Amino acid sequence: MINSKQIALIKKDIRAVTTNKRLFSVLLIVPLVMTVFIPSIFIIIAGVVPLDSNDFQSLIATFNLEDMLDGDLREMLIKIVLNELLPLFFMMIPVMSASIMAASSFIGEKEKRTLETLLYCPLSLRQIFDAKIIASFLISQLVSLISVAAMFLVVQLEVFIILGVLIPVEISWLILLLLVSPALALTTITIIVRGSAKAKSVEESQQRSVFMVIPIVLLIVMQASGLQILSVWLLFALGVICALVGFVLLKRASANFHYESLLL
Amino acid sequence: MKAVIAENLTKIYPSGKKAVIDTSFTLEQGEVFGFLGPNGAGKTTVVKLLNGILTPTEGICRVFDTDPAANPVEVRQFSGVVTEHAQMYGDMSGLQNLIFYGTAFGLSAAESKTRGIDLLEKLELTHAENRKLDTYSTGMRQRLSLARAMIHRPKILFLDEPTSGLDPESVQSVNNMIKNLAEKEGTTIFLCTHQLRYAQEICSSYGLIANGDLLAAGDLAKLRALIFSGLIVSIKSDRCPKDIAFTKTGEMDYEIKVDSEAEIPAIIKRIVNEEGNIYNVAARRLSLEEIYFGLLDKRNAEECSGKGAKND
Repeated sequence: MINSKQIALIKKDIRAVTTNKRLFSVLLIVPLVMTVFIPSIFIIIAGVVPLDSNDFQSLIATFNLEDMLDGDLREMLIKIVLNELLPLFFMMIPVMSASIMAASSFIGEKEKRTLETLLYCPLSLRQIFDAKIIASFLISQLVSLISVAAMFLVVQLEVFIILGVLIPVEISWLILLLLVSPALALTTITIIVRGSAKAKSVEESQQRSVFMVIPIVLLIVMQASGLQILSVWLLFALGVICALVGFVLLKRASANFHYESLLL
Repeated sequence: MKAVIAENLTKIYPSGKKAVIDTSFTLEQGEVFGFLGPNGAGKTTVVKLLNGILTPTEGICRVFDTDPAANPVEVRQFSGVVTEHAQMYGDMSGLQNLIFYGTAFGLSAAESKTRGIDLLEKLELTHAENRKLDTYSTGMRQRLSLARAMIHRPKILFLDEPTSGLDPESVQSVNNMIKNLAEKEGTTIFLCTHQLRYAQEICSSYGLIANGDLLAAGDLAKLRALIFSGLIVSIKSDRCPKDIAFTKTGEMDYEIKVDSEAEIPAIIKRIVNEEGNIYNVAARRLSLEEIYFGLLDKRNAEECSGKGAKND
């Protein structure tokens, strides 16, 4: 159960990010590039480039669409990009935002020598730990939500302008938003937090998120090279496994925290 | 109820460094206790032990009958701490910082704001309440730290070098505040400093520590009794009777130790009778600084004789 003192800490951490224009823009810019800029390029290629151009032919080949020439090929291609490729790009967002937020929240306090002051407050180490995890988690989910909302708005608008239709959204996005994104954020936060006692700087700590980024990059490469591995079931399984790993790591990380290891 | 009890408190860090060794002392409620010693003597370690940030290697401590090692959260609810390393948030204003710490201590946001504004006024920081902490001078930061530690009206305040970086005027206002807190509100003050003269101005009892070892604890009279409880009479004269034990400190300056003021007239008469001219006479008791160094010398001598006896 979260008490009022923890809520104060959560609010403070969230405000520290949202009122810090530099940090908040870093948190938002990359996700918006991934969810707005990159999809826009795909849509422009798919919607404007002549069907017989080399670029278009290579996209058709990549996604094995040679058999679908009877349908509206442009619409089909955009649908595939939106529902099968972008989800993988989207997975990077909770990882990135969670790692920036967790590093700034845990190691940032240590770096700015505000952690000791916090330890003199009537909060147990576990309560501080939980409050900071919640704050990092909420910010990462907020960034994910803003990114996905911006993506749908821009993508649908672009498609409507170019093709005059709206693209149906698949259930995979729901699984991504409600399961995969929270699970990825949780796991990333715990990975960062586990290393926070030893990390000397925010940057050093953020580098640990590479353990999460590399598998996602591999997934993107596999998917983009035409393997088409992504399915609703795979996403669901990925989300469940990630959530389990996150919870186990979280339990172990909080048990290993001691005042002396944080301050000495 | 005693405000603080420390019994055989020992802290050895994982590196093997003995920060505090077998330290015992008690503090009464409302007392201004000066915990004195040079940097690295173990003062901050004791503050951390009394707030449950560190756990003792041996011994026990109690703060208002609560064991900080077992119930750190409970102790911190009624204690306030100012240390050199405990900083606040630079990107928040002075008042925002106080409101945050107030809510972190369980006050409502409105209560924290009212209390924060009141403390900022007392510490002459009202003009900077909406300025970001990053723009504060060292002295202003130090005063804001004091306000932060007092936001929840603690029963005991741990102040580690509270006047470092303050100008003389601010030192005076902080001293007055500490005295008022102890006298009017009954707040116990645990003041760590290496400035012995400063401590003598405001403390009612003392603990003298060196290299983690508590040399002595008690009020000034008790500490003086360990070295010399009488008076030191400084006389500026062109002659001093030879049969009186004295220390010559200058060409015409002599220091004579007496047990009481009653002995002074006889010494003066002797000098006058021997046709000596007296230019100045002043009597004083040992200062805290002299007591500290006296105890340190005594401890070193004991250690040396202990080693000598072992070698024999």
